[in-house]
Amino acid sequence: MKLTLPPRVSPQGFDAALNAFASVVGKGWVLSSDADRDAYADIYAPGSTERWPASAAVAPASVEEIRAIVRLANEHKVPLWPVARGKNLGYGTSAPRMAGSVVLDLGRMNRILELDPKLAYAVVEPGVGFFDLHDEIARQKAPLWMSVPGNGWGSVLGNALEHGIGYTPYGLHARNLCGIEAVLPDGDLLRTGMGAMKDNPAWHLFPMNYGPTWDLAFSQSNLGVVTKAGVWLQPAPETSLELTWDIPEEGDIAWVVDTITPLKIAGLIDQNVFIPSWLGKIVLLGTRKDFWDKPSAMPEWRVQELLKEHKLGYWRVSIRLYGEESVNKAKAEVIKAAFKRHLDAPPFESWWRQGDEKHPMDITLGTPSAVPLQMSDWVGGRGAHMGFSPVVPATSEHVIGQLKRSRKIIAEHDVDFYASFTIGGRFANNVNMLMYDRDNAGQIDNIKKLFNALIDETAKAGYGEYRTHLGWMDRVMDTFDFNDHALRRFDEKIKDALDPNGIIAPGKQGVWPAAYRAQKKEGAE
Amino acid sequence: MSKLIWTLALPLIAATGAAMAQPPKAPPAGPGGVPQFPPYQVRSAMPEGDRLLAGRDAKAVFEHACGYCHFAGGMGSNLLTKQMLAMKRPPSDGILTNRRDLFPAYVKAVVRGGKGAMPAQTRVDITDAELDAVAAYLAKGKK
Repeated sequence: MKLTLPPRVSPQGFDAALNAFASVVGKGWVLSSDADRDAYADIYAPGSTERWPASAAVAPASVEEIRAIVRLANEHKVPLWPVARGKNLGYGTSAPRMAGSVVLDLGRMNRILELDPKLAYAVVEPGVGFFDLHDEIARQKAPLWMSVPGNGWGSVLGNALEHGIGYTPYGLHARNLCGIEAVLPDGDLLRTGMGAMKDNPAWHLFPMNYGPTWDLAFSQSNLGVVTKAGVWLQPAPETSLELTWDIPEEGDIAWVVDTITPLKIAGLIDQNVFIPSWLGKIVLLGTRKDFWDKPSAMPEWRVQELLKEHKLGYWRVSIRLYGEESVNKAKAEVIKAAFKRHLDAPPFESWWRQGDEKHPMDITLGTPSAVPLQMSDWVGGRGAHMGFSPVVPATSEHVIGQLKRSRKIIAEHDVDFYASFTIGGRFANNVNMLMYDRDNAGQIDNIKKLFNALIDETAKAGYGEYRTHLGWMDRVMDTFDFNDHALRRFDEKIKDALDPNGIIAPGKQGVWPAAYRAQKKEGAE
Repeated sequence: MSKLIWTLALPLIAATGAAMAQPPKAPPAGPGGVPQFPPYQVRSAMPEGDRLLAGRDAKAVFEHACGYCHFAGGMGSNLLTKQMLAMKRPPSDGILTNRRDLFPAYVKAVVRGGKGAMPAQTRVDITDAELDAVAAYLAKGKK
């Protein structure tokens, strides 16, 4: 990829900045070839990867190196785009929102600083991936489980800071963060919570500050560079029982949600319950052309044929219980009775006990996997996906409303319907997976139009997204419109106060520093 | 991204199963039949030392940097197995360390350029020195 300079930076000024960065990290960790720029592009970009081009990447190995780089970035007016491991697939990978930003790749900062089996937490740097922490827990034989997202290739902190979701009792990953260290936009260093006191042993245990609490102000944020954080982990349970039902009809999602939500709020179900639609089960069985060989969306009659052929319901619900065997048995009875009121078929039951092998790919058991990325093979060619992810109250009324609305819009754009609802408590996250071949211009154009329609219509109905791709960060921020966009005005006031040069992640989540506010239209879909 | 997983990847894994050790205590079959999985394999830690210098431990680097997807049951192994079967080659050739037809230049091109579902790897993911070592390791002495 050819070089795109940051706004208002000359080629000489840019070289001077890179040389300055190299004086901190060494020449070998400033990555600025065309091939490097390609490697830091959004590999799932809908359209050209050059729409969100990085100018270079720099990879520090310590907090002190990050502080030095941030100070130099201010001096040279070169904006940085921090990434933990750069695997935010579907949301931009490691590519920056603003063209010409230098990726601050924290992948070398991959130390597990603490692993405490008694109080069940770890302290990690941003470069620690789910596999890294999982393998270290295994090596130490610590009685701890992680919560992992669909793509376990990424960073534990990066995913939590981006509000990633997993499917265990610790599935709201941002909630597991406790006590953060961050380099501020002027190079200062802050520790939140009890860590604000030197050497306080409760830093990663008590989740609030004395005074305003700032931990999550560094999530989906451009207010600093997180350099370490505490992450709470689940004590390994004695047993786990999974109950699985195939749910026959599309409309059954109504009673499913109204059955699960109260059990989840009451604490009888601990995990985030994931409910995928039929395509989630077929997508890894082959490629699309094996099942439907036309470019148009798969028609309902073909869907019904496939469900019959593969003996699948429209939805599948798996509820996993964790803990003592007697407790799990008692909980299972309550849950089974609740389902029995709507569905005669008993669930399939599968026990796991200490000492049993875990399904290496069952992420409800906390084992990281990258296998879900296989779905990119479904569309053929250079397959990719984006997720449209609104949040709705976890009741049938809201879930059915969302389902009907998004189905209609997706059908109008002649795209296959592939949705899931994850019940995380009082809310449900609805992820609509939109898959496309990156080399099919017509398909990409259609997906972009579809994405815009989904955001706009869903906002009109009163709901917002919890996370989105680079190209839609501003559009989604626009939907948060209470009191003339008070949230964005507040975010930008803080941003300008802390980061007058706007050098940390300009445009992240639609928050633009004054210095680059004119760039907002570039790269927005 | 979602938990698509276990009902899903399965015909592929069943196909690779012949070439792999069975898990010590296989999980029972689920609705629709859940086939056997290769057990989760803990990767080597990244070897100590300067990652930019030659002489990296190739096997350890391969496990650490590539094992996510290229151990048995990983995304890369699953997709390659499918490709191998389509070419009438043995499913065990879906595992890179079993291959006899890899050349260093090809390995490097795929790692840096990406291929199919595999994203290009940055020089922080795997340094040039590490990639040299891994490419030689997978090529088994071929130049």
